[in-house]
Amino acid sequence: MSNINGKVYALNVITPMKPWKTWILRTAFFVLDHVKPLQQDLVNLSFIEFARWVVIPRNDFPYLGGDQKKEVLKYDYLLFFSNFNGTWNQYIDAFSAVLSRGLNLIWRWSEKFPGSVPVTLFKEYIARVQFDTDYYYTAYPQATANDLKSAHIVQSSFDSLNLVAGQSNPQQFADAYLHFVLAVQDHLGETGEAPVVG
Amino acid sequence: MPNKNGSVYGLTILSPIIEDEKATPSHDLQIRNYLAKLSIREESPFAQAPGTHLARLVVMDDVIYVGMPACEEHLKSKYLVFESNCDGELDTYLTGLATNIPEHLDAIWKHCVGYPGAANCEAFVDYMKACQLDTTFYFAAVNDKSVPESLRALQTQSAVANFIATHQGADPVTLQRDFIEFAAHLESQPPPPPGSMGPYREIKTGGRNE
Repeated sequence: MSNINGKVYALNVITPMKPWKTWILRTAFFVLDHVKPLQQDLVNLSFIEFARWVVIPRNDFPYLGGDQKKEVLKYDYLLFFSNFNGTWNQYIDAFSAVLSRGLNLIWRWSEKFPGSVPVTLFKEYIARVQFDTDYYYTAYPQATANDLKSAHIVQSSFDSLNLVAGQSNPQQFADAYLHFVLAVQDHLGETGEAPVVG
Repeated sequence: MPNKNGSVYGLTILSPIIEDEKATPSHDLQIRNYLAKLSIREESPFAQAPGTHLARLVVMDDVIYVGMPACEEHLKSKYLVFESNCDGELDTYLTGLATNIPEHLDAIWKHCVGYPGAANCEAFVDYMKACQLDTTFYFAAVNDKSVPESLRALQTQSAVANFIATHQGADPVTLQRDFIEFAAHLESQPPPPPGSMGPYREIKTGGRNE
């Protein structure tokens, strides 16, 4: 079991919801999905590579027949999968501090959700409803979400400079190179092995 | 349903695991044993098949009881959760898995109810879709780049940092000549393989409170 691979942590959470509340949550997600400014806090957190919420209605657990017994459940369930950089504590702290209203909107429909503030009770709740990852793969374990964003900025600027490199005289190239360096200088952070969490 | 965010697909699959009291060890444990020995570096099956940014496999034993006054209830099956963040369209991705890593898929999913095997690609894709759950909300920090593009960009970022560091104060003629050579050399290099530079599996960390 490992929830960690390189610089990413895999968080799995499942919480029960009364079925009538599911539709309120679906509406909230629909609005969040279609009104992009509402996602700005999530973007600004900047250490989430991918995250998803999945609502499973109580009658919609995959049923394939055969010897499988059909589920008989009272609750719908909300699954949350996150791929984030940093430690569990940093992540939950940041979620609580930056996204408390958004998180309350999402999880308040789950049974026994205590609210995302104060953080102590929120952490206790997440720890209770979390389950561990058996296998975790990432194509770029040495990179964080910010590394990826920066790398694509460098690649784009590099491609632009490369286009004019052979067509300009040395002084023109030196000027273009200076602009290139100014554009990428904040995006050259070194990637590599993740620090050991003590 | 927002299974996609930009060009990235958020795949969520729950495959019911076979319940067989006579199986020793149990099927869920056999899956866990296999996954525990699987490489997470460039030898990973997900590195050998195209298109996976991040993926996880989880044996979900049961739903979680959160305490009174909530009702306590239990699942009748354990489920293998496959969560993948991948490039492109679902059919292409699943076909890529079935074509490139059938032996790993079979070794893992043969413990699941109704699994038809990866040799029959069409049946495999249909099976995975039958186990798929629609994502309700999907977020991707970078949603317009493929895995090869991201690996290439990370390679470029590192090389450019070195180039800049070693060419401070260079005269324009040298700078231009060296840059053209550097760019040509960089473009001729293959991007680093997916999964490379990751930790080896002797990693023992992974507690939730780290």
